[in-house]
Amino acid sequence: MRVRLAFALGLAAAPLTAQNGNPRLAGRVPPAALPAIDSIIAAAVAESLPTEPLVQKALEGGAKNVPADRLVNGVRRGLLQLRAARVIVARAVPGQAPPEGHVAAVSAALARGLPAPIVERLLTVAPNEAPGPALHAAADLIAHRFDPDSAADLLVDAHNKGLRAGRLLDVAVAADHELQRGGGRSPSEALAHVRAMLPNVPFPKRP
Amino acid sequence: MSPIDPRLQEALDGERDPGELPTDLREAHARLIAAAQLVSGTPQLSVAARVMAEIRQNPARVEAGSPLLRSIRWLGRPVTVRLRPAWTLALAAGLAAILLLPFGPGGPVPGVTKFVGHFPGARSVEVVGSFNDWSRGALALNDDDHDGIWHADAVLPAGQHEYMFVVDGERWVPDPLAGRYVDDGFGEGQQNSLLIVRPAAAQP
Repeated sequence: MRVRLAFALGLAAAPLTAQNGNPRLAGRVPPAALPAIDSIIAAAVAESLPTEPLVQKALEGGAKNVPADRLVNGVRRGLLQLRAARVIVARAVPGQAPPEGHVAAVSAALARGLPAPIVERLLTVAPNEAPGPALHAAADLIAHRFDPDSAADLLVDAHNKGLRAGRLLDVAVAADHELQRGGGRSPSEALAHVRAMLPNVPFPKRP
Repeated sequence: MSPIDPRLQEALDGERDPGELPTDLREAHARLIAAAQLVSGTPQLSVAARVMAEIRQNPARVEAGSPLLRSIRWLGRPVTVRLRPAWTLALAAGLAAILLLPFGPGGPVPGVTKFVGHFPGARSVEVVGSFNDWSRGALALNDDDHDGIWHADAVLPAGQHEYMFVVDGERWVPDPLAGRYVDDGFGEGQQNSLLIVRPAAAQP
């Protein structure tokens, strides 16, 4: 009887044991780093944050043979970035639980160095649209030496004129082309030129 | 109404032996007796009534088997479906739209990406990134004409992907043509290349 009871309890506990740790990380991450990474991912789950960016960061570190301590720090940095992103999303899109896709996209934008106020402004303009393309467009413009506020102004104008998703990336590409054009055009002149052509910015070339 | 022959009446009433009747009356007597037996027997039920009575008497024969077996029998039973051509075409168009058009925003819509890198003298080049869980050996570049320009086409899910080239199986190199980069977060200032894949349907 006791043997049967122990067997039954063992069967019942098996799924719980299997849930410990992310199976995608087994064999891909140094064993010394696994417990810490598991606890970071568990914290993200408890806080309703997306976990895929953390899993990806751990897989990346394992593939690159990053030492365990730096790998754990990299994943922990990812968690902090997700928390910061959720605060921004909650402020920009009040009255609803921050969508995981928004939080992940904002986290990625922060990692690219996009200032939080610019992120918040762009989220506020289109709270119910996937924010990734607009945020990347802004990050592209800033990376090409455009003033952050002017870049956000241009993207808001583009959105108001009907451009969405990938077409916002085309706005950033058009601005960069204008800047590269000969004749010593300044960034503000390049932005003004693109604003004048909205919403008819060129489509990208096929790969 | 024609009057019946008294001798036949007597035979029918049992007052006379039918054998004493003349031949024509004897045949008439036999027909009348047969008819009387039919009328006086158990009333015959209609076909529908008989079938229903059979079903009520033997329900197990009709409902035999478990629900699963009955379902399997039902699936195997041929049926006739009548379709209007217009409705059929509309149904086909709907199915085609579901299968061919991209899903909504955020869905797993693929886009085509071309990876190109200039690595003269390299023995192998591969792309490793978030689109393949940073797995080695999943996406190799080719340099068939040995000019040092390695390339590969890939269909990737729409969205943002971080990646790097791995040259000769050991050297991790950002894509010099990526145009977008992001710190990899491991504290040594190394940068991943950043790729934004657009849904194929969104491309002109």
